[in-house]
Amino acid sequence: MGPPSREAWAQRLGAFRASPCAFLAGPQGEDLGRELLSDLRSDKLSEQTKVSLLALSLEYAAQLWPDAPAAEAAAASLLDTLVLLPPRPSALRRPLLLAATTALAAGGALGPASGAACRLLPLLLGLALGRDLGRGFGPASEQRPLQATACECLRELESCQPGLLRASLGPLRAGLAQEGPVQPLSLLLALALHNALALQPRAGAGLQGLLTARVAAAGDSPWSWTLAGDSDVPFEPQAPSWPEAEEGARGLLALELSPEESRELRATVAQLLDASYLLAPVAQAQLLWLLCRALRGLRGQPPALFKPQLVRLLGTAHPGCPAPGPAPPHPPLLPPLPPELPRKLSAGPRRRGGRPAAARAPAVPRPPAPALCTSPQPSLARLHLLCLLCAEDTEEDDRGQGGSPQRYLEELLAGLRQRAALDGGPRAWATLCFQASYLVAHCLAGQPAVLTPLVRGLAQLYRARPVLAPHFVDLLDRVGPELGEPLRVALCREVVSRPGGDAALGWHLQVLARVVGAGSQSATLHFLQAAAAHCPDWGLQQALLRVCRALLGSGGGGGLADLLQALARWLEDPDGRDHARLYYVLLAHLAGPKLGLALGPSLAAPAMASSLVAENQGFAAALMVREAAAPMRLSVGPRVATGPCPVLQLQVEALEPAYSLELRFRVEGQLYAPLGAVHVPCLCPSRPASPLLLPLQPRRPAPTRLHVQALYTTPAGLTCHARLPPLTVTFSHLFLPFPQAPRGAEPGFFEELWDSCLPGGAESRVWCALGPQGLETLVSCHLEPFVVAARPPASYHVAIRLPPDSKLLLRLEAPQVDGVPVALRTDDWALLPLAADYLRGLSAAA
Amino acid sequence: MAQRAVWLISHEPGTPRCGTVKFSRRYPTVEKRASVHNGANYVPVPEDGPFLKALLSELRLLGDDKDFVESRDSCSRINKTSIYGLPVGSEELWPVVAFLKNDMIYACVPLVEQTLNPRPPLISISGISQGLELLFGIQDFLYSGQKSDTELNTKLSQLPELLLQACPFGTLLDANLQNSLDNVGFASVTQPQKQPAWRAGTYKGKPQVSISITEKVKSMQYGKQDIADTWQVVGAVTCKCDLEGFMPNVTVSLHLPTNGSPLQDILVHPCVTSLDSAILTSSSVDGMDDSAFSGPYKFPFIPPLESFNLCYYTSQVPVPPILGFYQIKEEDIQLKITVNLKLHESIKNTFEFCEAHIPFYNRGPITHLEYKVSFGQLEVFREKGLLVWIIGQKFPKSMDISLSGTVTFGAKSHEKQPFDPICIGGTAYLKLHFRILDYTLTGCYADQHSVQVFASGKPKISTHRKLISSDYYIWNSKAPAPVTYGSLLLTLEAALCCKRECRQHPRAKS
Repeated sequence: MGPPSREAWAQRLGAFRASPCAFLAGPQGEDLGRELLSDLRSDKLSEQTKVSLLALSLEYAAQLWPDAPAAEAAAASLLDTLVLLPPRPSALRRPLLLAATTALAAGGALGPASGAACRLLPLLLGLALGRDLGRGFGPASEQRPLQATACECLRELESCQPGLLRASLGPLRAGLAQEGPVQPLSLLLALALHNALALQPRAGAGLQGLLTARVAAAGDSPWSWTLAGDSDVPFEPQAPSWPEAEEGARGLLALELSPEESRELRATVAQLLDASYLLAPVAQAQLLWLLCRALRGLRGQPPALFKPQLVRLLGTAHPGCPAPGPAPPHPPLLPPLPPELPRKLSAGPRRRGGRPAAARAPAVPRPPAPALCTSPQPSLARLHLLCLLCAEDTEEDDRGQGGSPQRYLEELLAGLRQRAALDGGPRAWATLCFQASYLVAHCLAGQPAVLTPLVRGLAQLYRARPVLAPHFVDLLDRVGPELGEPLRVALCREVVSRPGGDAALGWHLQVLARVVGAGSQSATLHFLQAAAAHCPDWGLQQALLRVCRALLGSGGGGGLADLLQALARWLEDPDGRDHARLYYVLLAHLAGPKLGLALGPSLAAPAMASSLVAENQGFAAALMVREAAAPMRLSVGPRVATGPCPVLQLQVEALEPAYSLELRFRVEGQLYAPLGAVHVPCLCPSRPASPLLLPLQPRRPAPTRLHVQALYTTPAGLTCHARLPPLTVTFSHLFLPFPQAPRGAEPGFFEELWDSCLPGGAESRVWCALGPQGLETLVSCHLEPFVVAARPPASYHVAIRLPPDSKLLLRLEAPQVDGVPVALRTDDWALLPLAADYLRGLSAAA
Repeated sequence: MAQRAVWLISHEPGTPRCGTVKFSRRYPTVEKRASVHNGANYVPVPEDGPFLKALLSELRLLGDDKDFVESRDSCSRINKTSIYGLPVGSEELWPVVAFLKNDMIYACVPLVEQTLNPRPPLISISGISQGLELLFGIQDFLYSGQKSDTELNTKLSQLPELLLQACPFGTLLDANLQNSLDNVGFASVTQPQKQPAWRAGTYKGKPQVSISITEKVKSMQYGKQDIADTWQVVGAVTCKCDLEGFMPNVTVSLHLPTNGSPLQDILVHPCVTSLDSAILTSSSVDGMDDSAFSGPYKFPFIPPLESFNLCYYTSQVPVPPILGFYQIKEEDIQLKITVNLKLHESIKNTFEFCEAHIPFYNRGPITHLEYKVSFGQLEVFREKGLLVWIIGQKFPKSMDISLSGTVTFGAKSHEKQPFDPICIGGTAYLKLHFRILDYTLTGCYADQHSVQVFASGKPKISTHRKLISSDYYIWNSKAPAPVTYGSLLLTLEAALCCKRECRQHPRAKS
C-alpha cells in the first residue's frame, strides 16, 4: 500500500488537530509519527503537503515522539531527509531544520550520547557562520534564510541547554563582525554570552579566550555538554526572579573578571549594541533585556555603554520592551515618560490654580461618546489611579474650587451611574458602575467626604433603576462597613418609602431581604403589609417571605407576628402559607439568637441548623442534664388580690440567656396543694421579662416557703438544672377580698359577716401603732382591696377571705394619736396569732 | 521571553459554542522549558476545545447578559489588565494574555521563567509584553487594508507560514508580519550588504522622498465659568522614501517659526538611528522650562520600504483655532438653540471644508425647524436628528458667525433614533469638522532643502502639511458635560491616540 494521498493526510491532520489526545489514543494514532517521517521522503506527496506534515511535527513533537529514544530516532530521520534533498531550491530545508531541533529539544534527547544532536549541531553552526557546507546543501539563494534559521535553532537549543554554545562565542562574534545577518547572529551571541557569564564560575576556560577565538576553542569540544548537562540549574541563567532573588542569585555567582576579560567583554557588548538599531523593535528589546541581565553587577561594565541606545529607544514610539500594558484595545506600550512621573502627576492639579488654561498640562479632553464607553479595563485602571490620587490629596487646600480630584472623581462616578441608570442599557455598564463604586469604597474607605455622596448617588441609582437590585446586593456583600452600613440604611429607606404595589416589587423585596435590619422595622413591616396585597404569584410571595425571614433573623418585632399570621391566612399558595406559619411558630417559640440559628444554617453551628434539639457534636452531652448556677433571680412581687385563689406574682431577673425554661416549685410542709410548673420560652438579660403568676392552693391559710428548681436550655443547646433560693409566702399573700356587696348594703354585709363568726370562731383586740401618716395611709397601703365599709378617716371595716374557707374581719375605729385599736374576728381560731402578727408587722412598718 | 502557544479565536455570539478557533500554534520546546521552570505548579497548555470554552467564559463572552451572574458581574471581579487565569481541570493556567478586537479574540500563553508560586509580578515576565506585541502584530496584519471576509480568510491561511518566519520557536523576531510575508518571496543575493531587519529587499526605480505633517487639533469647550476649556495639538510626520540601496540614510529636520511653542512628547519610529536627548526633554507632563529647546528637530533614519510615521509630537498652542459657544434652551416641546463660532485671527482662513455637526440624541425625529444662519447653509437630517451647518471654505471678514433656531421633535422610537449614553437630558454637543491644507497650528514645517539623503541618485523631495479637526467638541453651556481631570488621564490618552493612528495607518507596499 502506498502512502496516503494529500487528501487523506489533510483529513488525518484535521482530525489530529481537533483533539490530539483522542486521535493518538485511537486506532490511527499509533503509527502517525512513523508514517509522517516516512512520507516526508515520498515522491508522491507535494512539497506543500510535506510542509504541513512538518508544521504538525513542530507543534506536537512531544505527543508524536514522547520519549527520548523516539525523539532521537525522529531527529535522525529528519536529518536524513534533509541530507537527501536534491540540490535545487526547496521549501523543506527550513522546516526540516526546525523540526529536527524541536524533536531533540522537546523530546529531551539533546546530549553527548545523541547521534542526531552530534550531526545537527555542527550543521547548524556551519550554516549560522556562513561556512561553505559543500555540495548538496541547498542552492546559494537559500543560504541567507537558512543562515537565519540555523541561528534560531541554535538559540533555541542554547535556551534549553544553557552553556551549550559557550565554546562558540568567538566564532559567533567573528560572524557578526562580517556580513552575516545582523539580527539572528546578534540575538544568538547575546544569549550565549548571557548564559556563559551566568555559568562563568563553573566554567573552565577564560572568557577572554572564548570571545577572541576565531574557531571553536581549540582542543575543546565545540559543545559544552558537561556544562550544559548539569541538571541542577538547567535554566537558572534565564530564570532570574524579580528583583530581590535576582540580587541573591547574582551574589552567589559573584564574578571576578580580569581586566583583559572585562575589556573584551565590553568590546563584545559594544559591538552588539552598536548594531542594535538594525534589529526589529522586539528583537532590540530582547537584546537589551539579555545584555542588561548579563552585565548586572559586573565590574568594568559601565552602564554608560547603554546610554546612546537607551536615549534612542526612550523616544521611540515602539520600544518593544514595555511593561504589561493597561489593556487592549489600547496598545500595551506606554510612551516614554520621565521616571518621576507619578509624583509629577499628582502635583499636576495643584499647579492648575493660577495659570492660564492653555499653559496647563495638556488637558486634552477625552473624546466623549462613544469613546467614554470603551473597554472597562482602562477605565477602571484610570479610576484606580484617581482614587490613589484622592487618597494622597486629602489635605488638598483648593478643594471645592473645581480642581480637586475628589470632585472629579465624584463627577466621574456620577457619569457612570447616569449611564448605568439608562433603561435598557447593557449590563456591562451597570457592572462597570458597581466595580467603580467598589474600587472607591476599597481605596477611600476612610473618607466620608467621598463615601457620603457615593451612598447618596447609589440610592438615587436604585430609585431610577430598581432592576439593578442584584448588583446592589452584590456590592453590599463585598464592601466593608464604611460604605456597606450607610448604603444599607439608605437603600432600606429608599425601598420602604415606596408604595407596596410598585411594578418593581420583586426587586424591592430582593434588596429589602438584604438590607433589612434593626432600626427600621416598623416602616419595613408597613411596606410589607402594603406589598402583601400585590403578590399574586409564587415568586413574589417567596420574596416577601424571604424578607420576613430576614426580619426574623434580625430579631423579629411586634408587628411581624401579626404579619406572618395574616400571611398564613391570605396567601393562596400552600407552600407560602406553610412557610408563613412556620416562621410564625418559630417567632413565637424561639428567642433571637436561637431563631437566627434555626433560620440560617451557619458553619459555626452546623448542629443547630440541622435540628432545633440535637446537635451532632457532643450529642451525648446534649442529652444529659447538667447542674448549673441559676441563670436568673426570682423574687416575690406585690400581692395580686383578685380571682378565686391567691396568686403569687414572681419577678424574674435574667442573668444569662435561657430557653425553654421550666420552674418547678415544692411547698414546705404540705400546707398547700402541689404547685404546677411555670414555663418560660425565653429569658434574655437584655429584655425585661414579664412577671410570672403562680396560683397557690392552700390547704391551710398559713404562710410557707417554696423551694424552686429551674430546668432550661442554654444558647449552646445544653440542658441545665439549677436550684434557686427558696421563696417565702407570707400570710398576707393569701388575702382575697370578698365579692363586692351591692352598693349601699356594705355596712349590713359586714355586720352579717361579723356576726357569723361567733360562736364557732374567735375574737380579739389588738393595738396597732400608727406612724405619722395616720390611719388612712395605713389602710390604703395595705388593706385597700378588702375594705367593705368605711367612714374615712376614722372608721374602716375590713373583710378578708382566706382560702380555702376562712375569713378574717377587722374593725379599725376611733384612732388616737399614736395608734388605733383593732377589733378582729375570725371563724378559724388558728388564724388569730397570724393576724395579730400581721397587724403588729404593720405597726412596725409604720 | 517566549510563548508557549498562540490562538486566534473568532467570537461568534449566538452560536452554540460562541466561538471557533481560527488558528492556533503551540511551541513544544517552550512547553518543555515551562515544565522545568514552573516545577510543581506547571499546568500544561490544554487542547483547543477546553481552552476555547475556558477563555470565552473568562472573557464573559458566553451567552447573554440578561441576568446578573455573580461570577461575571460581581463588583469585586476587577481585572485591569488583559492577563487572565483560566481554570483547566482543577488547576489554573496563568498567565493567559487575551483581548477581543473586531470580534476576534487574540490569546497567547507566555513562558514564565521562574516559579509560579507565589505568582511573580507581571512586570517581571518579559514574555507578556512580547506576547502582546505578537498579538498586536497579528491584529495589524489581519486588519491592515483588509476589506472583506475573503481577504481575512486569505490572511488567516497565511498565518502558519508567517509565524514560522516571525516566531519559529515561540520567541518573536519581528512583530511586523508584513515584513515576514515580504521575506517569504524574497530571493536574497549571495553576499548581501548588512541590512536592517525591518528593510527586506530593495527599491528599484525613481528616487523620491515624501514628507507630510498632519496635525490634529482636539478641543473641549464648555462656555462655563467653572470649567476651563481645553485644546491640544497632536502632530504626526509621515514619510515614504523610495530610495535605492540596502541602507540609504535620510535626515529630516522639523522647524518651528520664531515664536512657536516647542514640540513636546516626541516619539519617533524605531528606524531613527540616533536622537539628541534635548529633543526628549520637553514633556507635557513636566513643568520644565518651555524655552529649553525649540528646534530644529533632526531625525536621521534608515527608511523602511513602506510608508511610515517618522514621529509624533504634541504642542501647547495658546488658543484654539475656533472658539465656539453653544446653548440649548428647552421650551415645552421644542429646543431653542444658539451657536456662535469665531475663527481666531491668527489662523489661515482657507479651509478645505468646515462643518459643524449638531446631533440631538435620545429624542425623536426632527419634525419642525426654524432657523437663521449668519453665514453658510444648514442641512437637516430629520430621521437622524442631525443638523449639519456647512460653513464652507472661508469664514466671513468678521470671523464671527452664528446660528439660532428652534427644533421640534416627534415621538421617540428606539430603533431609529440615535441613542447615546452621555447626551442625556440637556447634555449635548456640537462637533466641528474642518481641514486646512498647507498649514499647521504649531507652525511646524519640514523644509525640503534641509532634507539630507545619502543614497545613489538625486531624489525628488516633496513636503505637505495639513491641520484637521479631531474630537472638536463644543458643549451646551446650560447642562452638565463630561470633563477630564488635569493631565492624569490625558497624557496617556494622547500617547495612546498616537499609537492607534500608527496602527491604523495602512502600510504601503513597496
